Amino acid sequence: MTPEIANTRLSDDAFAAERRGVLQSWPTGAAVDFGAGVARQQSLPESKRFSAALAQAHAEGRTLLQPRAGVALLREHTALMNGLSPHCDLLPTTVDAYTRLNRYEDAQTGIDRSRAVGTSLLNGFPAVNHGVDGCATLVDAVDKPIQVRHGTPDARLLAEITLSAGFSSYEGGGISYNIPYAKTVPLQDSIRHWQYCDRLVGRYEEHGIRINREPFGPLTGTLVPPFVSHVVAIVEGLLALEQGVRCLTLGYGQAGNMVQDIAAMRSLRKLAHHYFQDAGYDDYALSTVFHQWMGGFPEDEAQATAVICLGALAARQARVTKIIVKTPHEASGVPTLEANIAGLRATRQMVNMIADQARPDSADIAEEAEIIEAEVHAVMRRIYRLGRGDVAQGIVLAFEQGVMDVPFAPAQANAGSLIPVRDNRGAVRIFDPGNVPLPKDVLAFHRDKIGERAASEGREASFDMVVDDVRAISASKLIGRPAA
Amino acid sequence: MEQGYKVILGVIGSDCHVVGNRILDRALSDAGIKVVNLGVMVSQEEFVTAAVGEGADAILVSSIYGHGEIDCAGMRERCEERGAGDIVLYAGGNLVIGKKDWKEVEALFLDMGYDRVFRPSVNLAEMIAGLRRDIDLRRVPQLGHNSAAFDTGAPFLDAR
Repeated sequence: MTPEIANTRLSDDAFAAERRGVLQSWPTGAAVDFGAGVARQQSLPESKRFSAALAQAHAEGRTLLQPRAGVALLREHTALMNGLSPHCDLLPTTVDAYTRLNRYEDAQTGIDRSRAVGTSLLNGFPAVNHGVDGCATLVDAVDKPIQVRHGTPDARLLAEITLSAGFSSYEGGGISYNIPYAKTVPLQDSIRHWQYCDRLVGRYEEHGIRINREPFGPLTGTLVPPFVSHVVAIVEGLLALEQGVRCLTLGYGQAGNMVQDIAAMRSLRKLAHHYFQDAGYDDYALSTVFHQWMGGFPEDEAQATAVICLGALAARQARVTKIIVKTPHEASGVPTLEANIAGLRATRQMVNMIADQARPDSADIAEEAEIIEAEVHAVMRRIYRLGRGDVAQGIVLAFEQGVMDVPFAPAQANAGSLIPVRDNRGAVRIFDPGNVPLPKDVLAFHRDKIGERAASEGREASFDMVVDDVRAISASKLIGRPAA
Repeated sequence: MEQGYKVILGVIGSDCHVVGNRILDRALSDAGIKVVNLGVMVSQEEFVTAAVGEGADAILVSSIYGHGEIDCAGMRERCEERGAGDIVLYAGGNLVIGKKDWKEVEALFLDMGYDRVFRPSVNLAEMIAGLRRDIDLRRVPQLGHNSAAFDTGAPFLDAR
């Protein structure tokens, strides 16, 4: 069946009609006024504009650092941001789990209880409940560009409120904030809701306000082969461009093998330009973001810091525009300000030491990039064919048929038949492609690489190997080798 | 005839972490245990309804996001209400917020009526072997007789 979705720009009438419903879905929506939002964004100094910071870093070849953080109450969250600010280049505002599920009443209970006990009982900042005024107070109180980071399949009201308040970057996308974050949300619904968010950003762009958009790169953060996250990034980029977005940051989560990670970042830029220009877009700004290790962390803080530093090294070697920084408290839950600062300082030291060194190149990196490009082209071809040229329809059908498949994802819309495993050098390979149409020679390459490891460990490649890999970093190794 | 083993598996509450769930599903299935996997974001009611409906031998509850203490409380009582009070009940994951002494966490969950409590670092083969033993211990002994052999097909007249 053809999905009821198309990669076409939402008409002004359709957007306006939908907007009335969105703004009425919670009382704080009433305070949103697009004209006031534009005026508010125009009044921000250049130093608070995300797109300007990214453009400057790109031009100067610098790598910017950004932490993740968010707490329930405005005053505490502002203090957290100002505590982080001297140690980073870009500020986040991580949104709580209730807001991500549009459960604003529960978020309000969380705010009230947090006020009563004097400490945050939410795992993020409930921006919708704080409303335009609360968010504007926050933006005024900080001295750096600030971004909304969340995990929300329907983030329309959150976008209206935060952009109107002066946030200048918005993370997420219809695929990347559904497949790893939701269980039963139909993919075409989340894509449609994100077309609204992108159209809103497009409207700001048309009024001279450049808002940065960042599809969520790492997906499930667990043995994700680079081509899988690249396809999602490219498709979400195409969907955003169609709605008028012009400032995109595409992301990737560290897989752990240096050669593969550098090749992944290089191929991501190249592939994105290829598909964007092929679709007729040439007036966009593209930057990249590298997420330090998103899987399980060691409990020991010194060991966790080593994981952070490996990410910093790979990111800088790959010349990314931005790094999302982890903390030494990663294994034990929501980090403190001090832990966040420690992660930023370790990353900064690493980046500074590598900054001026030669950019590494090798036949290994080139080969790895070739493989990734062949994989992305094969899947993108099938997506376009399934959608008869429409990438929105194509991606919905691709997930339905397992042509696109994200490992370890909770969504029922995802087949979960593709199984990855590390090879003998720690690169992520395809153990079972499921229904993903990878070329025969590429699959043979993966099989050979996995074979090398199986031989070296004296065991057959099996799901045990995958399980060992998932748990390896917390146990201080990259590859899950059997105990000697 | 050897009896099979059937378990209900799921991640409780509003938690969408699915990696451990997929690994457990695979490991249990590979070990010959029938798994009814409810996936992520599962309520207590869904766990118990599935256990009763499927006639399962055990419920295996995972929680990673820190709200396990709230989400898992009262599960044993709910099983009792539905007539499945003696079902094997396991909990595992990062069950509480922040760094806490494991002995305390374990005691807390044993006290709630869970039979065993596991950290993410658990050895899966040992866990599965223990699960079979725990299930066997709850079973009514089947001492070689076959009760179907006593069924004559005659109606129970005195039940009318």
